Amino acid sequence: MIEKRVAMVTLVATRGTAPKKEGAKMWVGENGHLLGSVTIGGCVDARVIQASEQVLASFQPQMLSMSLGEEDAWEGGFTCAGTIDILIEPVDLANPEDRLRSLYRSLRDEVAGGRCVAVATPLDHPAYKLIVWDDGRVLGELGAPELDRQAQEIGRELIQKRTSRTIALDSGRASSDVFFEVHAPPPTLIVFGAGHVSTALVSLAKNLGLKTIVVDGRPRFATKERFPEADELLVGIPSEIARGLRYTSSTYVVLAAHDYKYDIPVLKTVLNTEAAYIGMLSSKRRGEAILGFLAESGVDMQALNRVRVPIGLDIGAITASEIALSILAEAVAVKTKRPGTPLKNR
Amino acid sequence: MPNLYSDVLLDHFRNPRNFGSLPAPDIRYETFNPLCGDRIRIEIELSGDAIRAARFQGDGCAISLAAASMLTEMIVGSDITAVEIISREELLSSLKCDIIPARVQCALLPLEALQAGVTLYVTECRR
Repeated sequence: MIEKRVAMVTLVATRGTAPKKEGAKMWVGENGHLLGSVTIGGCVDARVIQASEQVLASFQPQMLSMSLGEEDAWEGGFTCAGTIDILIEPVDLANPEDRLRSLYRSLRDEVAGGRCVAVATPLDHPAYKLIVWDDGRVLGELGAPELDRQAQEIGRELIQKRTSRTIALDSGRASSDVFFEVHAPPPTLIVFGAGHVSTALVSLAKNLGLKTIVVDGRPRFATKERFPEADELLVGIPSEIARGLRYTSSTYVVLAAHDYKYDIPVLKTVLNTEAAYIGMLSSKRRGEAILGFLAESGVDMQALNRVRVPIGLDIGAITASEIALSILAEAVAVKTKRPGTPLKNR
Repeated sequence: MPNLYSDVLLDHFRNPRNFGSLPAPDIRYETFNPLCGDRIRIEIELSGDAIRAARFQGDGCAISLAAASMLTEMIVGSDITAVEIISREELLSSLKCDIIPARVQCALLPLEALQAGVTLYVTECRR
């Protein structure tokens, strides 16, 4: 263990323009090691580190509110001009009795088991914690039963949205800003077809933190040698495998076989799921033919409109790696409901 | 779909007969083309030596799926010994169009699965 005691820094609220979203984390060790970030660096990070050292010295949590526009660089207009609130909590990693250590170990196990949870923390009393599961179970307390009830409801909503956020709760007798930190399994990329574009796609997806599953009917193609980073390699009848997989609002599906024998039957299955993104590697003409065939087979147009074909953003991709980048950029944009256009034009 | 396929073939591709699986098949065999990825599984339910029901599952091209569909129609009611002697030509001619040499393998994939499954079943029964 490199560090025994660390300060866990959590971005709990943002106002205006901020480079990171609520839930971003940074760990500052008592020996100076750093992991993660709640901003994009510079003077703000320096202040966070300084405050973390104070938290480690006192071993008491601390809230910090910082304006990103008040740095010296403001004069040059070089800052993001937002305000962020940060919660810093001390954790003793060497102590099995440490509550936060135990809490996050439990969360890790829940997420590893495919479950989604939200941890509610009242920012004025961060020692209180309430864990909310997506099925409505709760564990812990916020200090008032009415706050617990509200937190249970809001926690489930935020789990659905996969969004961490601070929300003001009011029980009549007690009110509190409560930070809901949502933990969910990583987004999953399911690729049908184990060709050369898929190898680049899986490699890049792994770097983005996605769980990756590759499906093909050909054992010679779906191999560990070709896909060393894949979490799962499934060989069999692709449409049958497709019916047995789990699709959530964090699942990206890419049909990369470039072959109607996989595309048509797999689309029939995945179009009935809540997958966040469904893209098909194809020319426009071929894509229209496949969608036309499915329409004739009774698949409704609303479902067919979900299929991104030709797949990817228009970045002039030629190589397999570039195509992979184009596909994943589009998948992320669709998932986050962004247009995928240059930020310069916003 | 290009015109080089017969209406019969296209009909079986678009409306495959006996597509699915059986609850407790006596014979179940899956085979695939390692290069193109066509993969077909044939299931058969027997009553004595007679084929009572046949089903197929798989992802394949129009030719292989149509061939599988036709094949399952052909064999229901016949004896499994008759299955072993179904010829390539018999299946190919039932598709009612000229299959170019490069695609003959697609048409024969279901027959390969069927005959391999039957051979395995007969061998194990006789053991």
